[in-house]
This record gives sequence, C-alpha cells and structure tokens, in this order.
Amino acid sequence: MAISRHKARLLLLGPAGLWYAALLVLPLAVVLVYSFGERAAAGGYAPAFTLAQYANLGSRWAAFKNTLVLAPAGTLAALLIAYPLAYFLAVRVNPKWRTALLVLVIVPFWTSILIRSYAWIYLLGGRGIPTLLADLGLGDWRLINTPFAVLVGIVYGYLPLMVFPVYVSLEKLDKRLLEAAADLGAPPWRSFLQVTLPLSLPGVATGSMLVFILLMGEYLIPQMLGGGKVFFVGNALVDLFLQSRNWAFGSAMSVTLVATMLVVVTLYMRFLKRIGAARDDIGVM
Amino acid sequence: MQDDKAPITRQKFIEELLRYRKGSVTRRHFLGVTGLGTAMAVMGGAMPLLSPRRAFAQDIGGEVVLATWPNYHDPANFDAFAAETGAAVQVNVFGSNEEMLAKLQAGGSGWDVFVPTNYTITTYVDADLIEPLDLSKLPNYDAAAFEARFADAGTVGGKLYAVPKNWGTTGMAWDSSKAKAPFTSWKEFFDVTMTDFSGRTMVHDYQLTTIGNALKYFGYSFNSIDAKELADAEKLLIDVKPHLFAITSDYQPAMRNGDAWLTMCWTGEGKQLNRDIPEIQFAVGKEGGEIWSDYYAIPKNAPHRDAAYALINYLIDPQVNAKEALAHGFPVADSRVNALLPPELLADPILHPAAELLNALEFGAAVTLTDPNRAELMARFKSA
Amino acid sequence: MTAPTRGEDESQAPVIAEFVDTTKRFGDIVAAERLNLQIRRGEFLSFLGPSGCGKTTALRMLAGLETPTEGRILIDGQDMGDAPAHRRPVNMVFQQYALFPHMTVAENVGYGLRQRRPRMDRAEIARRVDRALETVRLSDFGPRRIWQMSGGQQQRVALARAIVNEPKVLLLDEPMAALDAKLRGEMQMELLSLQRVLGITFILVTHDQQEALSMSDRICLMGQGRIVQIGTPRDLYDRPANRYAAGFVGSANMLDATVQSTADGQARVALADGSSVTVFSAGDRAAGDRVAIAVRPEALRLSVSDSVDAGATGFAATITHKTFLGEHIECLLHHPVLGQLQVNVPRQAERSLPGADVGRTVHVLWDHGSGLILGQD
Repeated sequence: MAISRHKARLLLLGPAGLWYAALLVLPLAVVLVYSFGERAAAGGYAPAFTLAQYANLGSRWAAFKNTLVLAPAGTLAALLIAYPLAYFLAVRVNPKWRTALLVLVIVPFWTSILIRSYAWIYLLGGRGIPTLLADLGLGDWRLINTPFAVLVGIVYGYLPLMVFPVYVSLEKLDKRLLEAAADLGAPPWRSFLQVTLPLSLPGVATGSMLVFILLMGEYLIPQMLGGGKVFFVGNALVDLFLQSRNWAFGSAMSVTLVATMLVVVTLYMRFLKRIGAARDDIGVM
Repeated sequence: MQDDKAPITRQKFIEELLRYRKGSVTRRHFLGVTGLGTAMAVMGGAMPLLSPRRAFAQDIGGEVVLATWPNYHDPANFDAFAAETGAAVQVNVFGSNEEMLAKLQAGGSGWDVFVPTNYTITTYVDADLIEPLDLSKLPNYDAAAFEARFADAGTVGGKLYAVPKNWGTTGMAWDSSKAKAPFTSWKEFFDVTMTDFSGRTMVHDYQLTTIGNALKYFGYSFNSIDAKELADAEKLLIDVKPHLFAITSDYQPAMRNGDAWLTMCWTGEGKQLNRDIPEIQFAVGKEGGEIWSDYYAIPKNAPHRDAAYALINYLIDPQVNAKEALAHGFPVADSRVNALLPPELLADPILHPAAELLNALEFGAAVTLTDPNRAELMARFKSA
Repeated sequence: MTAPTRGEDESQAPVIAEFVDTTKRFGDIVAAERLNLQIRRGEFLSFLGPSGCGKTTALRMLAGLETPTEGRILIDGQDMGDAPAHRRPVNMVFQQYALFPHMTVAENVGYGLRQRRPRMDRAEIARRVDRALETVRLSDFGPRRIWQMSGGQQQRVALARAIVNEPKVLLLDEPMAALDAKLRGEMQMELLSLQRVLGITFILVTHDQQEALSMSDRICLMGQGRIVQIGTPRDLYDRPANRYAAGFVGSANMLDATVQSTADGQARVALADGSSVTVFSAGDRAAGDRVAIAVRPEALRLSVSDSVDAGATGFAATITHKTFLGEHIECLLHHPVLGQLQVNVPRQAERSLPGADVGRTVHVLWDHGSGLILGQD
C-alpha cells in the first residue's frame, strides 16, 4: 500500500519534475558550464576552465550597482503607488464598478511596453513635462535619460503586477476583522496598521517578489528611457550576447545575477518572516 | 547598413504604430521596422497559399525570403516581382549585422537573400555561410557600372559572393539654431559636446561608429585595434559620457523634438532629418570616418535558390533599382541607376559629399567588427 | 434547565441602553422600523427572530457598526449620535468570532486594552488578559495561535476579548451558531453564569427560540424589521401577542372563534363546530367579535373514554400521526370541522391511553382557561 502510493506520487511528480529539469535546471547548467569557458575568436563560446570571466565582473560593476539600486527602489515605488490603488479597488469601490476598474488596470498591458515607453519618451522629453514645469516657473528640468525616468518607466510598466496580488490579499480580507478592531476601540488608521496591513503582507510579498525579480532582468526600459546611460545588468547581457557575442562572460554575469537574486530574495523572505507574515499564520481562516 | 542604420522616422513610427494597433502587422514586424529588435515580418503578399498560382515562364516556386534592413525597399517592387514570377517576397527585418550573423550561424534561417554590409562579407565566407554567385543567373549585373570601392568587398579570394546594393556615410547631424558654427570635424563634435552642447549630444549604441569616430578625434584610423589608440579613445568616451544626452542608435526622435542638438548620424537619416527640419544639418568629419556599402548575397542552403537569383536580378535592374532609391533615399553605386535619378538628388551634399571629404572616409574592416577588445571597450563605456 | 426569573429586579434597575424611534433603511429596504426599547443594567436581553427580521441590524446599530437612518440610540443616557464604533462603551462577540488570525490568543484578548489612550501599562494589560482568559477557562492558551484553537475555544477567546474591556453592554451576535448542539448547551450555561459573575448587561441576537427562552431575562421578538413583542420568556410563551409570536415561540394550535361573552380577563368563545371554550383575553372584546385563539399542544389532553370532565370541552378527533420525542409524544389529530390539532402527551400520561393508536378516534380535552385570544398581527 505504502509502496504503491509512493509510486503514484512519483508518477504525479513526473511531469512537474521533467518541466523543472527541461526549463530550469538544464538551461542553468548550460549557463554555469559556459561561465567557466572563453570567448571564441569570432565570438560565441569556446570550452575552457577558467575563472577569468568571474574575475572580469568588476568591469560591469556600474550595471550591478544600477540594477541593485533601481530594482529595489522601483519595487518600493511600485508598492507605494499600488497599495493605495489596490486598497481603493478592494475596499472602497462600489463592487458594481470593481471589475471595470480592474480591467482598466490591465488595459495598458494590451499594448506593447515598447509603445508605452515611447509615450514616456515624449512625456518626459523636453517638450513634455519639463516644458510644463518651466511654464509653471518651477525651473529647468531634464527628466528623460536619467535614472528618474527609468524609475518612472519601471514603476509604470510593472504597476499591474503589484496591484493584483495586493488587491487579492485585501479583497479576501474578512471585513468583520476591521469591525472587530473598531468595536475594540481602534480608530480606522490604527486598525489599518494593526489588521489590514499585516494581513495583506502575503500579497505585498508576492507582488514585490514578482516585480523585483523581473526588474533585476529588465533591459528595455533602461534602454529606452535611460538613453543607454542608465545601464542595467540586463543591458550588459544583451550587449554581451548580441553585440560582442562573448557568451562565456555573459554566462558568468547571468550566474552572478541569479545568485544575487537568490540572496536578495532569501533575505527578503527572512525579513518577512521576522515581521510576522509567516504564511501559516495567515493562510488559515 | 549597420545597427539601425535607418531607424524609423517619427512619422513612419506613428504609421507603423497605427498599423500595429489595427492588427494589420504583427508585434514582431513592428519591432523590426522600428529598428528596436530582431524581428521577423510578413509583408504584403506574404500569404502565397491563399492566392491561386498562375502559370509562369519559369517556375521558381511560390515564395522567396529576404533578410534586410528597415525601410530599405519599395514594397511596390515586391508586388511587381510576385506578379511577374509568382514568388511572393517574404521580408525579415533586422537591426544589426551582429544579429544577422548570429541568426545565420545558428542555422536554419530559411533565408534566400540577405543584405550584409561590406565588412561582414569575409566573415561569412570564412564561416562558410554564403556561396559564390553564379553571374549567368544575374544578367542585370554589370561590374563596369560600379566604382570599385563600392563593389570590391563583394569579391573574396577572387570569387564574387555579393553584388552592391547601396552605400552611405556616417557623419554628424546638428541643430544649426543652437550651434555657434557648423560642425566640420569629429574634434569639434566631442569638444563642443563637453562644453556648449553638454547634455545634448548622442552617440551610437554601436561600437564600430562610436569608437571609430572617437579614434578619428585623435587622427587615428577608424578601424584601429591598436591597444594604445583604443585606450585614448576609451578615455575620451569616458570623459564625454557625463555630457551625453544618450547612447542610442534610435536618435531621430530626440533630434526632432529638440531634446538633443547633435548626434552621430547615418546618411539617409541625415537626409530625412534635414528634409523635415531644415535647421538640422549634416556633415562628415573632415578627419575622415566611415563609408559603407551594402550588398546582396545568397546564404548556403538557401531553400529557394532560383527565386533568390531571380529576386536579386530583378532588384538590380536599373529601372527597378531607381524606384528603390527614390523610395528609400540612399545613394546607389550603380552608374546606370544614377543616370535615371533626378540630378538634384545626385548633387545633394548630404548624400554625395565633396570628393575630398569622401576620400578621407574609410570602409569598416572585418576585424573592426569582430575585435573583442573594441567590444569590451564599448561595454565598459556603456556601463561606466 | 430553568429560565432565571429576575424580571422584577431588572425593572427597577436604571436604563443602560435605549432605542428611540430608531429606523434603519438600506436603500428601499427597511431593516429596522421605529424600534423603541429600553434595556436595563444587568439584564440579559435577547433579540429573537428569523433571519432578516432586523435583530442583527439592531445590535449593529448599538455597536456603532451601522448608523440609524432615523431616531436615536442612547447608551448609559448618552446619545450616541454618529459616534463611531471605536468610541462606544460596548463590545461585541461576532458571529464567526472575527478573531485576528495574525495574533496569538493573548494578543487578541489584549487588543482592546492596547487601544486605550492614554496607554495602559503593559503589565496591567497582561494581568487583565490573564484574568479574562481565566474567566473563560483558557488560562494556559495565551501563547497559542488562533488556528490552533477548536471552535468552542475560539468562541471563548472572542468572549474574553470582549469582556476584558469591561463594556457597559456586551453584544453577542449569534455566538453559538457555529457550535454543535452539545457544545452549544454547555456554552449557554457558561454564558449565563458569566453574566451573573460579571454583572454586565448582555444583549444576545439569536434565531433559536430555545436559546432565547432558556437564557434571557427578557426577549424582544422581532419580525420584518419591527418589534413584535417584548417580555419575559414566560410572557412570550404563555401570552403570545399574535399569530406570529405564537407560531415562532413554541408551537400552537390556532383557531378562528367568535366571542360569546367576556368576564374577568376571560372570554367564552364559540369555535367553528359550535362548541365553546373559555380562554384568556387581554384586550377589550365584545360578544360577536371574530377572533383568533391559540392553545399550546401540551395544554390539551387526550382521553379514550367518552366522558368529559366538568372543567373542559371535548372534541372527537382521529389520530393521524404519533411521533415519539422522548419526554412526550407528539400526536396529530384530524377533526372534521376544526382541521388538524396537535396534542403533546407526556410520557406518564401515555399509560392511561390504552389503544390510542393511529386511526383511532379519541377525545381531545380543552380545559377552561387554557389558550388565549391573539392580538392583531
């Protein structure tokens, strides 16, 4: 009995296991092997065993620095904007309008990020918002091709990914808990801090993870709104694989990026656990 | 043609945007024609299965696949070709020579004809990716009609691998209403960038031209791979970087809306900018710089070889080629075609710089493109 | 279990909460209409009625979770006006308890105390939490997580979380609805003794008439947003105001009748078959009035002999169903004119009814003075 159940479990895990092997483990293994190789004379990969690629990582320090500053900053900014929006949608809005408003949040996703970024190029460019600011007498602003423009672009581009998990966690929040808090003497802002916020942390965690991980690999928005001057690891990778075709170095950078992500995500999860958002506590009820 | 040699104009972009919104072109096509990504596109007449086959003098098959650059053909010519031969032209649009090379190297590209730039042809020959052309199948080709400098890169080891399509230069375009004096040299380009034009200049996101023109600042060869000379160029680029508006090959939007005042610029686009906004002027550096020439070539294992020859032969027919030139605006090397073009086009100082300026220019070399040190230099510059 | 009879004492106690012409409308729907009710200090009052009758709305208006559309709510003499829930000296035990899942048992219980401003001393909070947990017999459960607690334990945590604040009124919204029957009985006992110990006014909302009858000092019976009857459990049971009250609390035989004569709060009425019975009559009735009368099934008797006692009226009827219910047997009988009659026969009376089986025609005996004339619905 125990054995057949064991077998059945293996059978069920089979497809998932294959999926992981084919789509996750295998490519990562290839990248890992390549990262110890060399650039072939005409570009590409030549087998070798050297740590030279890793030793050269310092030459891309700025890309790592930009990514590690702007990815968390973008995540935080997206969260600060998404949370009130999600709260409004989940708690305040008349349910009659809720679906329509939720759809509006996704509508931008129906258009290519490329086109939307072009819109921002014009908005943040000299004839856009800076003209407006100048007309209002607020001084001479250069917005396009700055880290700020990239931040605007990534927050804009990834906002829906943050809104939805937060919305879901707020939407399933039992409204009677807030009534209970009020009944026990908590004014609305305190019951928000003591009940709503902690109970929506799983959504905050999911959204932040999602946005952060995608931002770590972002390259299109920095390319378009950073004018090639705000350089992410993703941009360095695109150059390495498509322009200079140094696959070995590109692989070493990819491995480093993945390792960095793992470290950051682990630290973040630990932090979340410590502030009491352990899944078990919230999953039930 | 190089990386985004003819990135799209704003007007064209909006047109493409509308087509894309209407769903009449795919996202990939949109990416391709806007010069923003490697793209595959299906253009007019690309659904041969839907149109009934007629009987043609010579059966070359129902389709032919062309890998080329954005805005580089007159679509009406493809329609005429299809009507004449029964082979619909399927167009794949590319953003850089590197991407083209990567795609062919990966194998299974399915291309019949593609458009490599002069300095890549030896690399394709060395990698055994293209085949010598059978001139008997190209009766419209007349070697005598070409200036040697625009044609000789097509011959490698005595064999003809590619026939010339168009040529052009890489210079600088600036907003004359902001400049104290017209730009004439790469020295001025970089010096003014670090002073009066700080925050208003763009360089290409392309090592060949950006490093090449930085080398010209010091009077070195555009194609230098000398370590000391490259170190000088790197120092210049790093010093200049804080003063740059952008590092991009998609420089037209910023020039047109006034965010940027000066940019490295390819001929055709210099012409487009000048035509739409007369204050924007174009010149090549007097120290020299790049001159380039694009070719038609046929990859090894082309699935429709007969159609490939037929298409090249058709497009280099002087009458057809003249229509192409009128549509895309790039200079043509074929004297038979120039005889058919309006004289003011040939007299245009942007398209056809004075001989002494032209003579100072250098063709890119194969090693310039493949040199790992130049690639690494560019990467350091961008991530600095 | 017997209902406490402290009714008289409460009538002397001061009013702690009061509804004055209180109306609540949700759009077109009137959830509560012109409620007028005084609740006295220390009283155990139940709002009883079916779902949708307005009892929960009444409770939520007291808690401040709903604002009356019209009329007023007073707590301890103070007009609550628009005072939000967090400023009202009442606490509530919610239907599904609404315990905070991200807090421990002790944190849940101490939540209200932590909201106090100026802040209450931490040690004092801990002491009061411990005492509250002790009161609900959960002394060692403070560090537990909510999801580690059983349903009954969660219920007690909810209770502790409310009483720890020493509210002037404790509101209980169907607190036992989620418990199984046995646990519910135990909790009812605990609640009652708790109320006696604490002396806090309890207001319970329930749809369970048994629960209301057994626990309440007074019951406020509601129907369709209005108060139908307010009284002690005995009042409600023995003197239901109308058909609705008679039918909702316990079961009753309801019959049409015509008044023949009235005297000393009693009336002689004629039933449809021409026989007459003497029933309690509260209002002014005159001979000839058409009225509805009700009599409880346990107030009627059965007899297999033909003789009818002097103080009773007899009806010959045929037994159609007999259902054994433990302490009594529920008999349904058919009378050719009056229709169906229900008689509950106590176990010990069964022995005197040999042969009273289904199909047998027997006599239903209605003692004079049993039953009453019902008011208008």
